[in-house]
Amino acid sequence: MKNKLITIAAGAAALLLLTGCANRDAAVVDDEDYPSKAITLVVPYAAGGASDLSARTLAAAMEESLGQSIIVENRTGGAGSVGLSYLSGRPADGYSIGYLPVESVMLQYQGYDLDPAAYDVLGQIVSVPATIAVPADSPYETLQDLVDAAEANPDSITVSNSGAGSIWQAATTALNEVAGVSLKPVPFDGGAPAVTAAIGSQVDAVIAGISETAPAAADGRLRVLAIFDDEASDALPGVETAKSLGFDVSIGGWGAIGAPAGLPDSVRDALSEAVKAGVESEEFTSVINKSGNLPVYKNSSDFTTFFNAESERFGALFAE
Amino acid sequence: MNPVTVGLEQLADPFVLLCILIGALVGMLVGAFPGVTATMAVALASSFTLTMDPVPGLAVLLTIYVSANFGDRVPAILVNTPGTPASIATTFDGYPMAKKGLAGVALTTSAFASAIGTFAGLLLLVFAAIPLSKIALQFGPAEMFALVVFGLTMMVGVSGGKIGKGLIAGAIGLALAVIGRDPITGTERFTFGILELSDGIPFIAAIIGLFGVADVLDQMLSHRAEKYTPITQFGRWWPNRAELRQMVRPLFVGSGVGAVVGAVPAAGGDIAGIMSWAAAKKASKHPEEFGKGSIEGLTATDTASNATLGPSVTTTLALGIPGDSVMAVLIGSLIIWGIQPGPALFTNRPDLVYTIAGIMVVATVLTLVLSLVRLRGVTKLLELKPAFLWTVIIVFCMVGTFAVNNSVFDVGVMLLFGLVGLVLRRTGFPAGPVVLGLILGKLAEGNLRRALEIGGIENILTSPIAVTTLIISAAAITLPALFARVKRRKLARLNTAQQATTSLPTDSLRK
Repeated sequence: MKNKLITIAAGAAALLLLTGCANRDAAVVDDEDYPSKAITLVVPYAAGGASDLSARTLAAAMEESLGQSIIVENRTGGAGSVGLSYLSGRPADGYSIGYLPVESVMLQYQGYDLDPAAYDVLGQIVSVPATIAVPADSPYETLQDLVDAAEANPDSITVSNSGAGSIWQAATTALNEVAGVSLKPVPFDGGAPAVTAAIGSQVDAVIAGISETAPAAADGRLRVLAIFDDEASDALPGVETAKSLGFDVSIGGWGAIGAPAGLPDSVRDALSEAVKAGVESEEFTSVINKSGNLPVYKNSSDFTTFFNAESERFGALFAE
Repeated sequence: MNPVTVGLEQLADPFVLLCILIGALVGMLVGAFPGVTATMAVALASSFTLTMDPVPGLAVLLTIYVSANFGDRVPAILVNTPGTPASIATTFDGYPMAKKGLAGVALTTSAFASAIGTFAGLLLLVFAAIPLSKIALQFGPAEMFALVVFGLTMMVGVSGGKIGKGLIAGAIGLALAVIGRDPITGTERFTFGILELSDGIPFIAAIIGLFGVADVLDQMLSHRAEKYTPITQFGRWWPNRAELRQMVRPLFVGSGVGAVVGAVPAAGGDIAGIMSWAAAKKASKHPEEFGKGSIEGLTATDTASNATLGPSVTTTLALGIPGDSVMAVLIGSLIIWGIQPGPALFTNRPDLVYTIAGIMVVATVLTLVLSLVRLRGVTKLLELKPAFLWTVIIVFCMVGTFAVNNSVFDVGVMLLFGLVGLVLRRTGFPAGPVVLGLILGKLAEGNLRRALEIGGIENILTSPIAVTTLIISAAAITLPALFARVKRRKLARLNTAQQATTSLPTDSLRK
């Protein structure tokens, strides 16, 4: 029996070693033939989620313009840090690209060993504006009502969100800062439980993405007080932007496509073109619209500016 | 639209039906191999089904769950070895029947009793799940915390009589649940800078290690040549009229006992089978035949252990507390699919009740047919050498764990937990409570902390649901210990008066 155990242990060790040796290409030179083989798209979240859907739909559209297949690889864990860290360690040859969520500029302020400068960003593909909603039978009819209540009762008006350190918790902090109040964030384990807690009046309000609050608002279980975006949305008829209500907060989740920093110029151009064509494709826009989020394109240089600005903004927000 | 139609429409997909067929074949096989439990099979399969859509994925997993509870009867009857713990009590009367030359009748009776039991349990799922979830929205963090604490007290139930060791194993699970980021502040705890540990220990990997790898290692170390020779004379296959009449009463007893035991968190088919066997014996006109090949005893156990399936699923999905060890594993998959079991689930997705019930009905019918047709074939498999089986299982464990996250780290965790599980088993600590502690510990902490954030300790103390549940939990953990003490005293008195012998074949109770 001992022999069998040793054989199994040895086999396991060999397997671990083999996978550990996945080699990294050395110097990357300009590649005129790009793309000459399949491309891997790393998604730092599980298959089946909203980010995965955006990434997979875009990958299908990008395949058409690049003429190569794109393999989506989900590497989950650590609020996205596992996949993001893996992506930054891949060779910058254009055959490894990844989905960059808003968390890629937030996690470094929360003790994760990540650096946004490790990526070349190729373009934004999707936007998920934050919304604030209250239970249908809540006494708070407007955002002003809620803020007034928070002013009168500091630290006791509760606002649920999807988790500690999430963009929705950051949105609560941002609103507090602008309104000069202290709404109390209550992190849940995911967006759906946070929204359910508001429907059940367990909390006074919820801050979540538009795709999570809009369905509950449509059937009358939630009342959305404001959308934290520059424009109102068709998905939430009659709901004004926080800015127009006197609270200048624009915040939300977003998704972009990026690659390990240092791509050759020609490869970078080819990929940026493909991202643009993908986001503008009929196929992509219809799927994303159906999911309740907004297909939004920003090109590589515009988005790099935005990416850096977001990074600085969260640095200040998390320093609170 | 009507949730019944929406739910059942999901089954019209030929791919879903194919998944049920695959699940049925896999389930029958794993059930028939002693040593491969339904929990282990579902844990392994879940690493492959995670990449599928929820409905086909659920079809595979639930069907394995159902059909393993048919297949495991075969070795119980023919070799006196339960294929999974759920058929422990099947050996009481099944094997004696087979020795009497009634193996064929025993197998057929068992298959029908199992099917009828499954249907009886499903009635509870269909009719009780939605009303249960009506009170769902009243369950906030405070109430959820109390409910999870109640689930944790069920460690006593899954510890197989060894209350002390069960509680220690549970405490190990709870301690492991602390690893990962703090649910409220996001601060790192025991992650040692390893990004993969930020969300805590990957529990699919831990479960596969504890149940799959540890089981195989344990069997390798303790393998002995089979004590029993398989029965080869089957006799007639169909019960006669007198035997059919005898089956009626135990069918009702078994369905009742199974439904109640199944609804209790963490109590499954093994406990229900034994309890129902004892209850049917009390109700029988021929209690002296029990244990010597009684068709009543066989019917009662097999009906009961399968009647737990529906109620277990109900408890799991409606309350978010695992109804038995297979359900503890299934919760892992559901969460990853974005189906968060708990009070809110059926309020948001009433159709899911009917989809699940539908899958289980189709699975039962299909498995019953397979059982009747293939019983003779399955018996051939009992002659396969265990060494082949072990190798296949280890390979599947590794490939399956890697496939969940494309992560070598997870494979390492799985192997580590395999060794931990082996040590636990060898020292007599049950693995079930470790998993319960690992999964429920996170939920308990998160909800307690949220409840305190929302309204301090008053938030919990002013909730009638929370307070009642906490009192019941306290009773659940203290009463069994008290009863055990009273019983020991009684027994001690009895023993001094006369040499009492127990009628339960206690040897086969040990896993």
